[in-house]
Amino acid sequence: MLYTNYLISAWRNIFKHPLFSAINILGLAIGLASCILIALFVRDEISYDSFWQKAENIYRTHITFSVPGRDPMYIAMTPGPVMEAIKRDYPQVEYAARISIQEPTVIVDNKYFVDFITLTDPDFTKIFELNLISGDVSQALTGTSSIILNETLAQKYFGGTTAVGQTLTIDFDVFKKDYVVAAVIEDMQKNSMVQAEAIIAIDEPAWIDQPYMFDAWFSTNSQLFFTTPSGTSIEDLASTLPDFVNRNFPKLPFGGEDIKTSDMISMEFMNIQDLHLNGNDDGEYHETGNKNTVIVFATVAALILFIAAINFMNLSTARASSRAKEVSLRKVMGASRKDLIVQFLGESILLTLLGLLIALTLVELVLPIYNDVLVKELAIAYTSNDIFMIVGLAIFVGILGGAYPAFILSHFRPAETLKANKSAETKTSVKLRYGLVIMQFSVSIALFVSTAVVYGQMLYAKNKDLGYNKENVLIVKEIYRDVVQEKLHFLVDEIGRMPGAVSVSWSNFMPGNSNNNNQIARTEGQSTEDGVLLGSRTIGYNYFSTYEIPMITGRDYSRERGDRSVSTKDLREGNFYTGSMIVNQSALGRLNLGTPEEAIGKVIYVGAGQPEENLTATYEVIGVVPDIHFDSLKLTIRPEIYELEPNYGSVLSARFTGNPNAFASQVQALWEQEIPSIPFDYDFVTDAVAKQYNAEQGQANMFAAFSGLAILIACLGLYGLASFTADRRTKEIGIRKVMGASVFDVVKLLVWQFSKPVLIANLIAWPVSYYAMSIWLENFVYRIEAFFIIGFCLIAGIVALLIAWGTVASNSMRVASANPVNALRYE
Amino acid sequence: MLKLQDLTKAYRTDEVETVALNNVNIEIEHGEFVATMGPSGCGKSTLLNIIGMLDTPTSGHYFFNGEDVAGYSEAQLGVIRKQHIGFIFQSFNLIDELSVFENIELALLYHDIPASERKERVAAVMDKVGIAHRAKHMPSQLSGGQQQRVAVARAVVGNQSMILADEPTGNLDTAHGQEVMEMLQKLNEEGTTIVMVTHSPSHADYARRTINLLDGHVVTESMRA
Repeated sequence: MLYTNYLISAWRNIFKHPLFSAINILGLAIGLASCILIALFVRDEISYDSFWQKAENIYRTHITFSVPGRDPMYIAMTPGPVMEAIKRDYPQVEYAARISIQEPTVIVDNKYFVDFITLTDPDFTKIFELNLISGDVSQALTGTSSIILNETLAQKYFGGTTAVGQTLTIDFDVFKKDYVVAAVIEDMQKNSMVQAEAIIAIDEPAWIDQPYMFDAWFSTNSQLFFTTPSGTSIEDLASTLPDFVNRNFPKLPFGGEDIKTSDMISMEFMNIQDLHLNGNDDGEYHETGNKNTVIVFATVAALILFIAAINFMNLSTARASSRAKEVSLRKVMGASRKDLIVQFLGESILLTLLGLLIALTLVELVLPIYNDVLVKELAIAYTSNDIFMIVGLAIFVGILGGAYPAFILSHFRPAETLKANKSAETKTSVKLRYGLVIMQFSVSIALFVSTAVVYGQMLYAKNKDLGYNKENVLIVKEIYRDVVQEKLHFLVDEIGRMPGAVSVSWSNFMPGNSNNNNQIARTEGQSTEDGVLLGSRTIGYNYFSTYEIPMITGRDYSRERGDRSVSTKDLREGNFYTGSMIVNQSALGRLNLGTPEEAIGKVIYVGAGQPEENLTATYEVIGVVPDIHFDSLKLTIRPEIYELEPNYGSVLSARFTGNPNAFASQVQALWEQEIPSIPFDYDFVTDAVAKQYNAEQGQANMFAAFSGLAILIACLGLYGLASFTADRRTKEIGIRKVMGASVFDVVKLLVWQFSKPVLIANLIAWPVSYYAMSIWLENFVYRIEAFFIIGFCLIAGIVALLIAWGTVASNSMRVASANPVNALRYE
Repeated sequence: MLKLQDLTKAYRTDEVETVALNNVNIEIEHGEFVATMGPSGCGKSTLLNIIGMLDTPTSGHYFFNGEDVAGYSEAQLGVIRKQHIGFIFQSFNLIDELSVFENIELALLYHDIPASERKERVAAVMDKVGIAHRAKHMPSQLSGGQQQRVAVARAVVGNQSMILADEPTGNLDTAHGQEVMEMLQKLNEEGTTIVMVTHSPSHADYARRTINLLDGHVVTESMRA
């Protein structure tokens, strides 16, 4: 059998040239493993929410507020009343449901839990299929006292016993209510932007005192999903959205008569399958992906495979002359060129498949860590189409890498190769090989530079002066709950007296987490319509001194000085008085308050309550602070006002000295003694700020790892090529040594041979990576200077050269120190 | 010029020890032309390699210009070799990728000689061996005889005082072989010491002394009148 003969020949060739085979198989294995890992990641990212039966026809509404003087505020949420309006105005809308995820206290059998509860509308079960385990979901959301639990929560609350029919209590602070478990469903798929663990119906009357939750037109606290019948053109629907906005939204209280509501508020529909990769973090309940990241990683995977395939081409063509004799003999025996091409392609596919076996082993070994880093549950499903796709990929790579060598090898003419027994290398194949090495190193250097820029930017962001001292601040969460609010001042005082405590305050936001509260403000002499939209935060006494933020001028809020805020309740009751206000520097410009010194003592008016109430609170500016990065560095700092909130906060901040954990455990002991019903939840500001970069850090690490692998594969190839070339030049080296060349002279000669392609590769990689990375950096508001890229280019160039030298030098040393007699004795 | 004293060279593999040279004693004076003959495997090439300092003896002494180099390191030998010894091989051993000029120049490259002087010397020696018109050709474009003349030129361009020729005519036809031998003779007359290994008795006749080797021993030495 001819094919058996091919197989035997291929198999023997693998073992006859162990170095060549090892480099090829290992390179291919690493390449394929990287590619499979990246493919798993990419597939997961693009698979989000495609599994819903109605996926093609499920949409979410988004809203953008474009207020003069501010960056547009894009939010993945929609004001609550929009749902009814959409159902009324668009008969094409089949089902619609809002989703709001809250974190209340759940009480089961006198045990307290804090879990995510999804508040939604009855259509939820019509839009999304829930995989029922027990009970009945059809009626679960029509009333307001049933709850659907997923398997995990059912297990957590009720253990082994049947959950359906049991009762639990949920304390939302605003109200507290019993719910009967109507159904238990399977945990939802991870690759979805809809994650519900416990589901209850939105009970609007119960939230009536919090109109911003579901009833206000200018507050966004829920996401809105809807479906249309298949065949409905969503573009047609979307084109009428400006009219929809003008018809339904109340007139904005500022901007003047000529301004249409749709000029400042725009809505859009996005298909559910696009949500994950087009997500904007504002208003998302779940981690979003990034389209660019997916594209970048897919590109990296392709490049890695390309580099591995180049190795294969290079080593095979370099070794071609040593197989010239076999080719010639086969031709003499009657083999056609086609036969030989089949033989050599078969060989390269065989090598790739061996590489694939190692690759799959590597993938299985690495997957647990990989999943950890990416916070995913990726796996190869061997029984599905996966395995065909993977084998198909391997065969494709085998053909990609094997085609050119097969073409070259099958080309030899027996008469020449058999008689002359001389090097069968053509100038073209030598040139091509250098070209390919140049390409490999261009890619490697570009990846190196990109990795360096990504890391550089991350380090810059992590170490940027945020305007406050993030070190040594303990954050205590969950203090917004009623049971805690009652004891807020007691807790603050007690913590302040603890050993190591420096200063304690509270606020309605946490540094590092974004905050979207805004208020309309104006100064004396301005009409309501001249009002500007300012970011607003509420803080307790001594907040700025706790965070060691120096005042530009004026002072921090102080209990002793009698600073007060204006409560909406007082305004509604007709009690008017002037409160104290601290603003940041950007706000001075927006409010025309002049210099910080001029601003002190000036009066500003801030809208209160709901816009339709037309309430105005009066404040006197007592302090000006610099612009501070309380939000992510991805956002520009807003013009902001810092309102005093003497009795309420959602997080408590305590500056301390000494051991952080010791301090935290003192606070914990106090908490557990005072508030046993709520689990103690804390963080350190440094960690909270660092968490903003978790996803980026994970992706940067992944990028670095794959770039490293690409470089490793390129080096493997270079090593193989160098050892082959060194062998091929043995005779020449022998002659040179007889002529008096020292070992060093010879090493220099060989090393220089491989320095040239690396140097040329630099010339290609530098401009490309400079261009690409300076565009990438433009994604960041606060970023490293582009000239750093030049530095990274230089470093990458030097490192690539050193790596190439290191790779080539050992071979060169071996050949250079060999006794020339051995090289010259036989011809 | 050189003196081998009780010189032995043994090659050892796992099981067998092969003695290539056994107790060889040879003395060669400045300006001599010595031919070494003997059947295949008698140790001729080993002897030439040791004399050429490409290989080191297992035991015994090798005095080169009065200096015992038997225990020298490869680097030390390299220094002496490049100053004093030129090589000519049966298979020419030219570098295929270099031109005639560059091949000859190679022998000077490792000697710290400025480019202009190298150029002059290569030109002079090419003239001497009659291949000046082929300076830019590649070895593959030359006949065997021409290639060997390039090799001879390379062996002497550095003013080496001794040339070791390992069957310099082995790959050549009679006419070209003759040509090369005459060139060697001319060099010898100009004062270069020549040690040559050959199978051809007629070419051995160019030498003034013939050493016959058999199984690693010097069997006879004969002087030409």
